[in-house]
Amino acid sequence: MSLLIVIGIITLALLGVPLYAIIGLAGLVAYHYADLDSAGIFIELYRVASSPTLIAIPLFTLAGFIMAESKTPQRLSRLSQCYLGGIHGGVPVAVMVACAFFTAFTGASGVTIIALGGLFYPLLLKEKYSKDFSLGLMTSSGSLGLLFPPSLPLILYAVIAQVSVNELFIAGIVPGLLMIGILGLYSMWMNVKLKITRIPFDVTQARSALREAAWEVPLPFIIVLGIYFGVFTVTEAAAVTVVYVLIIESWIYKDIHPTRDLPKLMINSMILVGTILIILGTAMGFTSYLVDQQVPMQVLDFMKRYIDNQWTFLIVLNVLLLIVGCMMEIFSALIVIVPLIVPIAKSFDVNMVHLGIIFLTNLEIGYSTPPVGINLFIASSRFSEPVLRLYRAALPFLGLRLAGLLVITYFPALSLFLVDLFKR
Amino acid sequence: MRAIRQLNEWLAKVESGFLVFLLFLMVFLAFSQVLLRNFLSSGFLWTDLFLRQLVLWVGFLGASLAVRERRHISIDVLPQFLPATYRPWAQVLVNLCAGLISVFLTLAAWKFVQMEMEFTTILFLDLPAWIFQTILPFSFSVISLRYFLHVFDDSIKLWKKQ
Repeated sequence: MSLLIVIGIITLALLGVPLYAIIGLAGLVAYHYADLDSAGIFIELYRVASSPTLIAIPLFTLAGFIMAESKTPQRLSRLSQCYLGGIHGGVPVAVMVACAFFTAFTGASGVTIIALGGLFYPLLLKEKYSKDFSLGLMTSSGSLGLLFPPSLPLILYAVIAQVSVNELFIAGIVPGLLMIGILGLYSMWMNVKLKITRIPFDVTQARSALREAAWEVPLPFIIVLGIYFGVFTVTEAAAVTVVYVLIIESWIYKDIHPTRDLPKLMINSMILVGTILIILGTAMGFTSYLVDQQVPMQVLDFMKRYIDNQWTFLIVLNVLLLIVGCMMEIFSALIVIVPLIVPIAKSFDVNMVHLGIIFLTNLEIGYSTPPVGINLFIASSRFSEPVLRLYRAALPFLGLRLAGLLVITYFPALSLFLVDLFKR
Repeated sequence: MRAIRQLNEWLAKVESGFLVFLLFLMVFLAFSQVLLRNFLSSGFLWTDLFLRQLVLWVGFLGASLAVRERRHISIDVLPQFLPATYRPWAQVLVNLCAGLISVFLTLAAWKFVQMEMEFTTILFLDLPAWIFQTILPFSFSVISLRYFLHVFDDSIKLWKKQ
């Protein structure tokens, strides 16, 4: 009987019934059979939806939407080209830095590839990088900034796993740079192999590009330093970011019209927040039931029969998360999986901040993992290339990022030493 | 039917307007809290609590508008394997299920609000928590309504085509 119900619910999910409804249905059925009042689902929903850290999410999302709609991508790409074009593999590195910046603010909902792809892809081809390399680079860069503050998945993980956002914001920096570094070395090697000439550094160009982006460049530093030195909390940083972005994009750059464009942007950004919040809320009702029924503990007992140390557990976790990452969109993946994994990971003595970084690195890679990584499809439609070609183009990058993932997973210090440093 | 459709359009306008207003309020309150705390080292205790309720409101207004724009997150793997002629019908079925489930969720949300009314938890400034929680049954009922409208509109379109 219960098996039939489970199969039914999964079939509905795969047919395309919205995820919040699927999880809500699972919750309703579970509460019904456990003789609990279905109102309990909403007790959990309200508890998570009104948790203090969550305030940062709508604010940062709005800021990201405003930046995506203005000419920030153009200014950013010009700036990074001017300053990084002069080194070996400079243009690809410029692509990654600009994409990481942009993704940290917009939360990797595919916006990066759409907004920056049109500017960088032709440039890479003009520089005579091969088509496969350029496509692979653009696809991978679409999710490269997830580990940097103030990315939404970082905040969401902090809310669900109940760890400090501040620590998570610090922890992601080194692993994030490591990922860019690995792909950067590959680009340099490609640059030398293809004998691509460097763009000479042009002082006047560089200066004018810097002046143009002078208002946007300080933003990540304001947020990061402000939080680390205790000037403001994450929520306050989000409020400052929105107001700052609003002022520069509508008054200084005049890219956004405050009455014509802003309301539409506000509604669109809150539609995104709403689709996440409703899944988060219903999922908390269901997962709290699962935790109540000791389901993670039963899984743990089962796992303990085969796995007896942290290292093996982390391998299994990585494989599982990579599969999840290419099947599910990142927010729902986080919401559904984190509450179930956290108790298990705790019993294997995994640090919760480190676990968050492992989670996000995996999901970040999952974005461009064939066959169903969403960025492959976005890139395929953006650059009008068949998906199969993108599978091939993404493979070398995928291999390198998996290597990076292993380093991040098995050297917790990489994520945690800065956190310890700041705690003192 | 026309009346329901008009009601839907009217609701969307009210929701959008209210959403924009609440989000402005949220940005304003959160930002003034930063200024107050840093420059006057003061601030209002209720602001933080109120901001959290605002998240709930803007989020769930966004969630009900998302149905109208067909933007809810789903994993639709199976329809890709269906023959093209059946795919729109699968979509009708999907929307019907989403609508029905949302009706049950509306009832659960309503029970939750009733429970909270009995407890009368006071959040701040003498305002009880249930006032803020009314957004939950409201938004879930609008969500169901919109899914049923999709079902109706889409099946009529498919019917006419045949």
